Amino acid sequence: MIQQQYIDSGILEAYVTGSATEAEVEELMYMKAKYPEVNFALQQLELDMEHIAQTMAVTPPAKSWDKISETIDELILRPEYDPKQFEPGAEKTNYQNFRTEGGPQFIEVESESSHMRIHKTWKWVFAAVFVLGKIFLGCAIYFYLANRQAQQQVEELKTELRQLKK
Amino acid sequence: MTTILKPTLTGTEASMPLSAQTKHGLYNSYSSMLLGYLLEALKDKQAAEQYLVEIFSQLEFTDIQAITKPGVNTYCQLQMIARKKLSAFLATVDDCAEPAKTSQPRVISGNKFIDMMSHEQQTVFCGVHYHGKSINALSAELEKPEAEIKRILKESFTIIRNQRNDTATVHR
Repeated sequence: MIQQQYIDSGILEAYVTGSATEAEVEELMYMKAKYPEVNFALQQLELDMEHIAQTMAVTPPAKSWDKISETIDELILRPEYDPKQFEPGAEKTNYQNFRTEGGPQFIEVESESSHMRIHKTWKWVFAAVFVLGKIFLGCAIYFYLANRQAQQQVEELKTELRQLKK
Repeated sequence: MTTILKPTLTGTEASMPLSAQTKHGLYNSYSSMLLGYLLEALKDKQAAEQYLVEIFSQLEFTDIQAITKPGVNTYCQLQMIARKKLSAFLATVDDCAEPAKTSQPRVISGNKFIDMMSHEQQTVFCGVHYHGKSINALSAELEKPEAEIKRILKESFTIIRNQRNDTATVHR
């Protein structure tokens, strides 16, 4: 049988000892998936490797874990979603479909948010306020300059009057 | 009967973050086995401990998920990670097999499996397992075809299997 020939070829042993080539590994994955005998033989070899390791095991010093634990950062496992919930037909009710397997489902609501939602018509109100603000600013500058010019003219007239009185 | 070790959650782990719990479970189950392998490969206790710390420190959550999947032998996957990490260093370490024509002692001692192997089997088994040599490299080194190297490697595993079965029978 082809699977027995494959098992006897020594490729499985090469794989568990990490000396198989990439092509051999690919072939092995295929054979493992196709033939249960190959899968069983591989499992037995892996148990052999474990057996060697158990026999030669050396307990690490306690400080080793302390060093490892210092480097651990908190990682959050992302929930697995069902791909069907993202199908085009499910768009309108996506919030209902957006759920994980098992357990009660809730829509998460942020109770303390620094943002607020307003109606789209407010966009035009804000635009109008902005434009009016600019107009008023322009008017204020214009009148300020006009007023300053008028004051200068008044001052000049006063000066002329004083000179005439003399 | 051989049991497959899987990470288990202990009381002290419950207070840890998820990733730390999983990593601690793996460490509890496999660190001694992995250190034994590293020690045999490196022959330096301090370096082996350092490598052990590095291997577990650099394990990311995705790696842990991949090596703890059902149907995957977690220890063998960890050993492959260790082997990759050691690949540059292993080339500089002496071979395990006793030189055929000298009286120089073997570097690995106390490994009953290697003791049971012939010189040729030791060269091949230690070459691939502890020194990260490829079948191709061993084929060139021993001047034998690759199929022959694989056959010798298979013989080495037969010796280990027989010993494992003997042990299982004794314990039964």
